[in-house]
Amino acid sequence: MEIEEGSNTSNTHRISKRTIIFGVIPFIVIGAMIVLLLNSSGILFQSSIKPLPEISIEKVEFSDNNMIVAFVRNTGPSEITIAQADVNDRIYPAAVEPGRTLTRLADAKVIIPFVWNTGEPYEIGITTDDGTRFDKLVNSAAAAPRPTVGQASTFALIGIYVGVIPVMMGLVWYPFIRRLSPNKYNFFLSLTAGLLVFLGIDALLESNEIAVDNLAPAFNAQILIIMVAIVTLITLLYVSQRLIQRASKRSKPDIDIEYKTGYSSHSEPDLGTRDMKSSSASFQRQLLIRPIAISMMISIGIGLHNFGEGLAIGAAVLLGEVALSSFLILGFTLHNTTEGLAIVAPMAKSRRIPVAKLMIMGLIAGGPTIIGAWIGGFLYSPIATVIFLSIGAGAIFQVVYSIGSWMYHTNGSRGLLNNHWIIIGFAFGMLIMYLTGLLV
Amino acid sequence: MSYPRIAVLFGIAISIIIFAISTALYSKSSFSDQNSSKLNSFGGHTPGYPTLQTTGDVLDPTSLIINPKTAVVDPMKYLREFNYGKLSASSNGTVIRDFTMIASDQQTKEVSPGVFYNVWMFNGTIPGPTLRATEGDTIRITLINNGSKFHSIHFHGIHPSEMDGVFEGIAPGGKFTYQFTAEPFGVFPYHCHMQPLEEHITHGLYGALIIDPKKPRASADEMIMLMNGYDTDFDTENNFYTVNGIPYYYMHHPIQIDKNRLIRIYLLNMLEFDPLNNFHLHANMFNFYKTGTKLIPDEYTDIVTMNQAERGILEFSYKYPGKYMFHAHKTEFAEKGWTGLFLVKEGTNQSINENLNVTSIRNITNYSTTVTNYSTTDFNETTDLVPIGGVN
Repeated sequence: MEIEEGSNTSNTHRISKRTIIFGVIPFIVIGAMIVLLLNSSGILFQSSIKPLPEISIEKVEFSDNNMIVAFVRNTGPSEITIAQADVNDRIYPAAVEPGRTLTRLADAKVIIPFVWNTGEPYEIGITTDDGTRFDKLVNSAAAAPRPTVGQASTFALIGIYVGVIPVMMGLVWYPFIRRLSPNKYNFFLSLTAGLLVFLGIDALLESNEIAVDNLAPAFNAQILIIMVAIVTLITLLYVSQRLIQRASKRSKPDIDIEYKTGYSSHSEPDLGTRDMKSSSASFQRQLLIRPIAISMMISIGIGLHNFGEGLAIGAAVLLGEVALSSFLILGFTLHNTTEGLAIVAPMAKSRRIPVAKLMIMGLIAGGPTIIGAWIGGFLYSPIATVIFLSIGAGAIFQVVYSIGSWMYHTNGSRGLLNNHWIIIGFAFGMLIMYLTGLLV
Repeated sequence: MSYPRIAVLFGIAISIIIFAISTALYSKSSFSDQNSSKLNSFGGHTPGYPTLQTTGDVLDPTSLIINPKTAVVDPMKYLREFNYGKLSASSNGTVIRDFTMIASDQQTKEVSPGVFYNVWMFNGTIPGPTLRATEGDTIRITLINNGSKFHSIHFHGIHPSEMDGVFEGIAPGGKFTYQFTAEPFGVFPYHCHMQPLEEHITHGLYGALIIDPKKPRASADEMIMLMNGYDTDFDTENNFYTVNGIPYYYMHHPIQIDKNRLIRIYLLNMLEFDPLNNFHLHANMFNFYKTGTKLIPDEYTDIVTMNQAERGILEFSYKYPGKYMFHAHKTEFAEKGWTGLFLVKEGTNQSINENLNVTSIRNITNYSTTVTNYSTTDFNETTDLVPIGGVN
């Protein structure tokens, strides 16, 4: 590096060919090592012990025409050959497509003609050529949903009940929240934050459960959950910052009716001095735009969450893990009604929101449940469910952050933890979710 | 700023790694040349179970024939193969029978189609060879240990302590000759008795010794049936149950016997882990001689239940031609391989096909008349009878 500095000033801004060469050399060495190690046919590190095989049975489908189909994946360290299949530990003739030999991480479909009974548990076993048996228990056999119009509309109906209706019901609270005093409003805002924190943790736990039950350790799915959630969180934080910046640049300072009648007049002087990056005027503008932006972000976050929830519901039906009942649907409906409340709370003190806009937000939040249920029910993939639930969790934590910082700024000098309404609201929000969650 | 250059550098690095990995993997992997246009049939053995087509591979030990080159035994050969030893006479006129047994423990063989297991064997098969002598003969068995562990042979029956194969193990590469008088007449198992005992037995070091009474039993079509299992995943539960070493073998290779001919089966239970095993004969009854030590039958029955190492002799003959199942009536064992078929023929030269047509038995079996395959074609003609294809 010393040598290059001698040449000319452009070197400080541009990377010279030599820099590139020096940067690439380690990679060439790594590449050569990879080729050597994998090509030497184990001469260097040959072990007489054959690595243990591992198969994951990712899903088991029961079809109406007396067939059980197990979807298996080679999650072990080396190639494996499937030798036979069994149902409840009894050997049955079967076929494996595309073929019995699976390279690492390759998947296959094992088809077993079997006269199964609805509602009974079945254990599906797969034996590899070295005699190792892997199994998966299905608690209650149910015919796999087929992508028919009837089944699609059933899932759509479930999605509407579980996702759209509750969110819309929550939105109806909008006029009520508008009329609240600042303290009570703060209570509802923090209640929203509490609801969302619960949802976020719930999503993380649920995706963890799916990862443990349905995904092989080879996928490192538990790390993936945290990774996806964090990346989603910081990405959405970035996006929302950019949205707010852009919106505040374009906005005109005349839409301040609600703001003046609102609670923040007493705290305005404080804000002006405290805020590190905005001038008093631009922050006033932010206060007007941010509620809608926050509500929109909450809708999107809840939408992502509900997509994951839809996937999970569809998959649960597919995998025969739940029997769909009116009670279950009712539970989900009550549980999710709070989501609508979460959307309207931040906007309550800004200018009047057109009903159409509220409806759109409701659809953004609730609609994905339908799509999720379709995808989960017809094309179940545990890894996709885990990823979407994690995205939902990350999105929700971003929303919680937005609400928190919003309350922090509007709450003036008192701070967040000084206001008992905020603490009670937050705790109450989580409690509501916990109690309604007992119904599901 | 020089983002483009950094991007170039990064790109080059990534492509080098990807190239290296893919080159290495490509040259290493053997792409299976599966012909996707070829369709294989599977299923359809049992009423209500469709015959399906697949572009993939069939997994079916009940109809797939094991590769004779890698199979742990040829059950058809084992069935009627009795080793009488190399005969000589001692100075006092006693018949001496010399046998050679070679123990091995390092081979991996196919125990069920597609399933390979580290088998420990006498003379290269599980079960080991059936030794046969007459009461009063002198038996001399030379054990050569070609394995990597100590082995021995422990015979059931009457013999001196030092011939019991328990306290003296034969070291790898070693050799020992067991010598004793064949007594009493009956059916006896033999097995390795080294520690850990369970391991030496479950891996396959066992077989049968038959001692005939001095006055031979009545002439019959004689066969040996040894019931065993394989615990291929070492969880002290059997993954496979068999008679004569290969699961379901006699389902696709039915044992052909003649109508009204006396059949004599020397039956032994060498099953580990499960407390009981049994043998059930379809559509017939048999005389059972417990342990084979008497000439008068103990029971006239269609099922006999045995604990570990118990054995006996079954005698029966079939009155009607056709296909008849025999299997463990413990259905778990039956559905994990311990199931077989007798094919009773009118006479040695007559086709079973004709007999089936004559007696309408065709309508009550779902097995086609070819010995290697089954089809459900016969079902469709059935209107009044429920075809029976299970194990009952």
